[in-house]
Amino acid sequence: MRIKYQNLTKTYLTFLVIIFLATLNVSCGKTADNKDVEKKVKKPRIALIMKSLANEFFKTMEEGARKHHQNNSSEYDLIVEGIKDELDINRQVQLVETMIGQKVDAIVIAPADSKALVPVCKRAMKQGIIVINIDNRLDAEVLQQNEIKIPFVGPDNRKGAREVGLYLAKRLQTGDQVAIINGVPTAYNAIQRRLGFLDAIKENGLNLVADENGDWEMSKANKVVSALMTEKPEIKGIFCANDSMALGAISALKAGNFMDKVKVVGFDNISAANELVEKGELLATADQHADQLAVFGIEYALECLKTGTVPEDKETPVDLIVKK
Amino acid sequence: MKTNVINFLKEQVGLIVALLFLIVFFSVKSQYFFTYSTFVTIVNQIPHILLLATGMSVVLIVGGIDLSVGSVLGLSGAVLGILLTKDYSLATAIFACFIIGILCGLTNGFIVTQWRIPAFIVTLGMLEAGRGLTYLFTNSITQYLGSKLDMIAEPNIMGIRFPLLLAVVVVLFVHFLMIYTPWGRHCFAIGAKEETAHLSGINVRKVLLSVYILSGFLASLAGLLHCARLSSSDPNAGIGYELSAIAAAVIGGNSLSGGKGSVIGTMLGVVIIATLEVGLVQISVPEPWKRVITGMVIILAVIIDTYRGRIKLFRKEA
Repeated sequence: MRIKYQNLTKTYLTFLVIIFLATLNVSCGKTADNKDVEKKVKKPRIALIMKSLANEFFKTMEEGARKHHQNNSSEYDLIVEGIKDELDINRQVQLVETMIGQKVDAIVIAPADSKALVPVCKRAMKQGIIVINIDNRLDAEVLQQNEIKIPFVGPDNRKGAREVGLYLAKRLQTGDQVAIINGVPTAYNAIQRRLGFLDAIKENGLNLVADENGDWEMSKANKVVSALMTEKPEIKGIFCANDSMALGAISALKAGNFMDKVKVVGFDNISAANELVEKGELLATADQHADQLAVFGIEYALECLKTGTVPEDKETPVDLIVKK
Repeated sequence: MKTNVINFLKEQVGLIVALLFLIVFFSVKSQYFFTYSTFVTIVNQIPHILLLATGMSVVLIVGGIDLSVGSVLGLSGAVLGILLTKDYSLATAIFACFIIGILCGLTNGFIVTQWRIPAFIVTLGMLEAGRGLTYLFTNSITQYLGSKLDMIAEPNIMGIRFPLLLAVVVVLFVHFLMIYTPWGRHCFAIGAKEETAHLSGINVRKVLLSVYILSGFLASLAGLLHCARLSSSDPNAGIGYELSAIAAAVIGGNSLSGGKGSVIGTMLGVVIIATLEVGLVQISVPEPWKRVITGMVIILAVIIDTYRGRIKLFRKEA
C-alpha cells in the first residue's frame, strides 16, 4: 500500500511541476519574439510603470500605450509594469529599481506617491535614464530638494474637476448641502480634484457638509456614502474624485432610496460610468483621454531620446462628459 | 563545522535547487537577468521582508502566528517619520521606533499567554488596531524625510547596501539563538507540544512572550529600513507583508503547526520569492500571471518539502 501511495504522490507531483512549467512558458511566450527582434536592431527601450492594473483607468492607459507601440514597433520597445493596488509604494520603487537594473533608456511613470517615488527616480536619472512623469504629478518641493527636474505630461485635474463641479453646481441651489468623496489624500490628483470641486462649490455658494476620503475605491466610497446619507439625509449633491467611487456612491444611494434626491458626478469617464451617464444616473464625468495619457508620455520620452533635451511640462486636454 | 555545512546543504537542498532552477530559467529567458546589477537589485529589495520573515519564522516554530507584523512595520515607521519631521534627533526617533515595535509585540504576547486566546485572533486585532493608529498619527499623509535616513540606506559595499548586511547579521544571530541556546531548543519544544514542554520544566509563558517581543522588535527594525529605503514614512507601508512573510517562512520549510523550521530556510524562501518577482518583471510576464505563478511556487515548494519528509519516513520504516 505504502509503495503505491508513494508512486501516486510522485506521479501527481511530476504532473504539478509540468503544469507549472507550462504556465511559465505560456505566460512569457510573447517575450521570446520581442527578444529576437531586439537583437537585430538596437531600439530604445521604454518602461511604462503604472499604478493599479486592476483599475480600468490604468488598463485603458496600458492598452493605449500598447496600441501606439504596435503602430510604431520599429521605433522603440515597450515594457509595461504595474502594481497590485494603488497603495503599494514599495513595490513601485522595486519596479523602478528593476528597470534601472535592466538598463532601459527611458521610464514613463505614474507615481503611486508624489513624494516617496522621487528619490528612486533621481537614482534612475543618475544612471542616464530619461524619466517622464504622467498622471500623478511629483511633488514640486521634493523635486527641488533633490535638485532634479522631471517633466510632467498630463491634464490639469483642478480645471477638469472644476468644470464637472460647475455642471453639478448649476443644477443645485445656493445653500444646498453637498459632499466630496476624495481619493487617497496624499495623491496629487486627489488634492487637485478636491481643489477643483471646492472652487465650484465656492463660486456657487453651496454648503459643503462632508469632506470624506474614499481611497479611490468603489467599496470604500459605497460604505462612506451609506453612512453619510443616514447621518445627513439633506445632501443634494456628491462630488466623487473618480468614477469608481462615483459607482460606489450610486449603488449606496440606490440601496438607501436616495437616487432621485441626490446628484452625483465623477471623474475619468470609465466605460461603466459612461453607461450611467447615458442612463442619467451619473450627472457628469470628465474625460482626460486615459488611452492617450501614457502615449503622450512615451512620445515625449522618444523626443527626449532623439534630441537629448528635457522638454517642459505639457498640458493635455480634459473634456466634460454629460448625457447627449 | 564541516558536518554542519554538509547537514545544512542536505537540509536545504530542495530550496537551493529551486533557486538555481529559477536563476537558470530567467537567465535563459532574459539577456538582462544574469548580471551583477540584477543581483544587486534583488538583494537590496529584501532587507525589510527578511526581518519580518525571520520573526515570523520563530513565531511559527513555537506554534503561533503573528499577523500584525505589517502593521507594526507601518506604525513604528510612522512614529519614526513624525519624530524626524519634528526635528527630534535620529537616535531618539529610532529608539521610539523600536519601543513601539517592542510594545506591540509585548501586547500580543501578553494577551496570548495571559488569556490563552489564539494568536491568530490577537494578532489579527493588532493588525487592524496598528494600521488605524498609523493613520491617526500620520493623518494618512506620507511624510517625506529627505536625506535624514541616508546614513542608513546609502552606505554600500559594491552596491550592496547596509540594510541588507544588517538584516543578514540579524538572521544569523537569530539562527544562532535557535540552534545553540536553551531558549532556541525551548522554542522547538513548545512548538512540538506545549504541554510536554511545560511538564519538562520550561517556562512556556516567558518563552512565548519573548518570541512575540522579538517579532515586534524585528518588525520595527524593518520599519526603520523601509523608511530609509523610501526616504519617507508611508502610512500604507507594510500592508500585506504579513502574508509575504508567512509565504517565505513556509517555502523555507517552517510548519504552520509549529515545532519545525529554520531561520536560514526562511531566508532562502525570501530570496526565492524576490528572485521570482524580479525575474518575472524582466521577462515581462503580465501582472495577473505573476500572481498565479507566485501562488503556484508557494504551494509547490510546500508540497516538495512535505514529500521529501515522507520519503525519509518511508526509508526509516523500511
